[in-house]
Amino acid sequence: MNEHDKLLISAYVDGALSPEDAVRAKQLLAGNPACRAYYDDIRKLSISLSVVKDEQLSPDAEIQIIQRLHKETTYMKPKTWKTAATVCVILIITALALQTYAKRGIQGRLKQATNDIGDQYSAKPKSDGRLRDRNVKRPDNTGSTLQYDAYYTNTSVLTDKSSTRRASGYVDATVYSSGLMRDTRVIGTDVNNDSWGGESPAVTQKAKHEINDQYAMASAANYKGFLNKSPIPDQYQYNIPSNTEEYPFFNENEFLTTDQNPLSTFSTDVDTASYSNLRRYLTQNQVPPQDAVRLEEMINYFSYNYPNPKNGEPFSITTDLAVCPWAKKHLLLRIGLKGRVPDEEKLPASNLVFLIDVSGSMQDNNKLPLLKEGFKMMVRQLRPEDRVSIVVYAGYAGKVLDTTSGYDKEAILSAIDNLQAGGSTAGNEGIQLAYRTARESFIRGGNNRVILATDGDFNVGISDIGLLTNMIEEKRQEGVFLTILGVGNGNYKDDRLQSLADKGNGNYFYLDSIREAQKVLVHELGSTLFTIAKDVKIQVEFNPSQVKAYRLLGYEKRVMAKQDFNNDAKDAGEIGAGHTVTALYELVPPGVNDVPVSVDELKYSRTQPSFGEEVLTVKLRYKEPDGNVSKLITKPVGKGWLQMEPSGDFAWAAAVAEFGMLVKDSASRSKASFDHVLKATKSAKGDDRSGQRQEFIDMVETAQNLVPENSGQINFKGGNQDERWGY
Amino acid sequence: MERTDEELIRAYASGEPDAVGLLFARHKGSIFNFALRLIGNRADAEDVTSDIFLQLFNRRYQPIPQVKFTTWLFAVARNACLSRIRSRNMLGSFWFKRDGEDGFEEQEVVDPAENQGEALRSKEKAKMVKRAVLDLPHPQKEALILREYFSKDYAEIAVILGCSLDNVKVLIFRGRERLRISLAAWMKEETL
Repeated sequence: MNEHDKLLISAYVDGALSPEDAVRAKQLLAGNPACRAYYDDIRKLSISLSVVKDEQLSPDAEIQIIQRLHKETTYMKPKTWKTAATVCVILIITALALQTYAKRGIQGRLKQATNDIGDQYSAKPKSDGRLRDRNVKRPDNTGSTLQYDAYYTNTSVLTDKSSTRRASGYVDATVYSSGLMRDTRVIGTDVNNDSWGGESPAVTQKAKHEINDQYAMASAANYKGFLNKSPIPDQYQYNIPSNTEEYPFFNENEFLTTDQNPLSTFSTDVDTASYSNLRRYLTQNQVPPQDAVRLEEMINYFSYNYPNPKNGEPFSITTDLAVCPWAKKHLLLRIGLKGRVPDEEKLPASNLVFLIDVSGSMQDNNKLPLLKEGFKMMVRQLRPEDRVSIVVYAGYAGKVLDTTSGYDKEAILSAIDNLQAGGSTAGNEGIQLAYRTARESFIRGGNNRVILATDGDFNVGISDIGLLTNMIEEKRQEGVFLTILGVGNGNYKDDRLQSLADKGNGNYFYLDSIREAQKVLVHELGSTLFTIAKDVKIQVEFNPSQVKAYRLLGYEKRVMAKQDFNNDAKDAGEIGAGHTVTALYELVPPGVNDVPVSVDELKYSRTQPSFGEEVLTVKLRYKEPDGNVSKLITKPVGKGWLQMEPSGDFAWAAAVAEFGMLVKDSASRSKASFDHVLKATKSAKGDDRSGQRQEFIDMVETAQNLVPENSGQINFKGGNQDERWGY
Repeated sequence: MERTDEELIRAYASGEPDAVGLLFARHKGSIFNFALRLIGNRADAEDVTSDIFLQLFNRRYQPIPQVKFTTWLFAVARNACLSRIRSRNMLGSFWFKRDGEDGFEEQEVVDPAENQGEALRSKEKAKMVKRAVLDLPHPQKEALILREYFSKDYAEIAVILGCSLDNVKVLIFRGRERLRISLAAWMKEETL
């Protein structure tokens, strides 16, 4: 069945065919089952469409219209015809004048407002490099190219990204984040290219009315001709509506000169939420908002094969240097930590409080039902000495399960099964009750933890994020940790959840699928639940004679002041059992001048090059989970460690970072490309037992179709980096 | 005997102002719903409806023998909606809530008892269908709405949209192809 046959059948259903065509359609239907199925499909579609019923004009509006009609019709009585004609002429002249004026006025304003929105008059979105190609090949529709208009309500990603983004800069951050900023839908070419076509919203109500009069006259005048009007241009361009998901805004780390800033300090981060969120977007064929892409969370989603720690230390530190894959003159530094894996028998007993959002917004399949499955999988792993209580919150907060031993799995599972979604959300009350519950069943020396599962939309009670975080910071002192499981889309409040987890000695995951729930709550349950070190901070000191400038990839929200490294009062990230943490630095060797650096060289305080062979020193501070005093580990890194190209796990981490920069449209992505990412990932995939790496490769392929590649802002000319480094 | 639209408009022209009220009462529903389905938000649709009727009765209408009054009314309505949509977009749009969110779909607090009900499901379905239709490219949307919700035949649609009959066929077909994809899940459950 070809397109033409389908067209024929579509018209046949409506009885709109000429007799000859109708005969042809009947033959098709008689002879071809596919055609009959298509015929039925169209009738089914009609039934589906019929669920949207007619609505009533609201009584208020109706009365208003009748009043206006009455006024107008009495005013326009035939007797007053001559006066009316005179008035009309005057009105038209005024309207014309106003229209010209208004057009000019609005053009002036639009120049500012539309720089990033698109040319309103040609009604074509500006062909910015970031504009999404909507002619996306869908994986499930191989071969045919569809014009892809997403019908999901959560489609901010496909809106002209640059407009949404940059607009948020000068509109008002609150306007943006409260979701007031809506679509930039543009209806295409002017269909009625008549004199009234340019009706302008800036015209005053009166003038507008007059223009409408003029419009009606013109309609009538045109009426006779409108049978012969030219066909409608078939190309209409749409941008897609925004949504109410919220992501924290952050600036990417820039290159810093070693002269000015020899120290780079940051807190570790084991969250992975950004990666799974990104995956959700890509599986829906959407490009995620830039701020939802956090490189460190993507890199840390994968576990890397670092050596286990020795000598009773909680970590091993691994460092590698290699040529940077996306900027051949630069180097890439990898710092890898691996947490100790305690013996299972020695794991402390857990006191877990599940704090579950059961508000109305949670009833979608990818929210509460997913969480219930996830929690059930997790409960099955529990040991008799572990304890679980369940607190739910919606319009109110309540305890649905008192603390129960892991021995009594049946009771816990049935309590989880009975959860239902409904009502509004008072998250604050729930969190308070959960911490109180954790306190009541506190296990000394154990793993006391609140597990908050929500879409983050706290809309009742004290939803002020500041008050909430204050409270959570307070509870942190009492030795209760926090794990956050984020779910859902459309209304997902990433910024709140991330900030809560940060403040609550916590970690933060985004569950987009049952598979992700399995990863977080079953396979990596140890690292999710058991903290082996807290307040883990890393400080890297670079040798100015070896490194001219450096840039930390990701960790933007984790960067600390250099003096905070030695200040034990400053909170930092936690590391769970067996967790790996990876950080990447892009380094600029001396003599390479391709990076714009913001500060001039210092005139007076030149550091004399010493420790010639050492490139940098990694320092790490951590506290035992129940300790208050930090311990220090240092490790120098020499030049001798340089690899030509990253290999194995290092290559994988680099490729993930490169991919992140591409999706983020990072200013520092240099020569990063999807092709390179694919090449690197395919050779670095290794033994991918969990299938996670293959999944990533699939994501890259999806993204490659969605995200157009621009050349980065920094241009490189060829050159041999080896010479510069004396190899 | 009830007078036809054409007779009413003539009566109005010859000095019977009440004829306006009759015509309005007769067509307010269809014109409002046409605007609502095209624009997608109640406030604009009501506004446009008001404008349309005002234009009609400002004595701009001259009866034309071969075209029905309702056809003409729909054509005027269609143009008015188009200018409204265009004027909305000209403002850069972010001052305006997108279709539906102001009044088209009422904000409602979900009653927990009602959650699992069939009522909720069909509400959800209606929402998805509305969304899908609104997201069609504008010409396809116009043609399909006229066909599916107002049962206009192709010839009349061609007159209203000012395009050829073949063009109408194609627009409706393309619109259906899109909806078949976006509404596939719901269509599966329909029985003929």
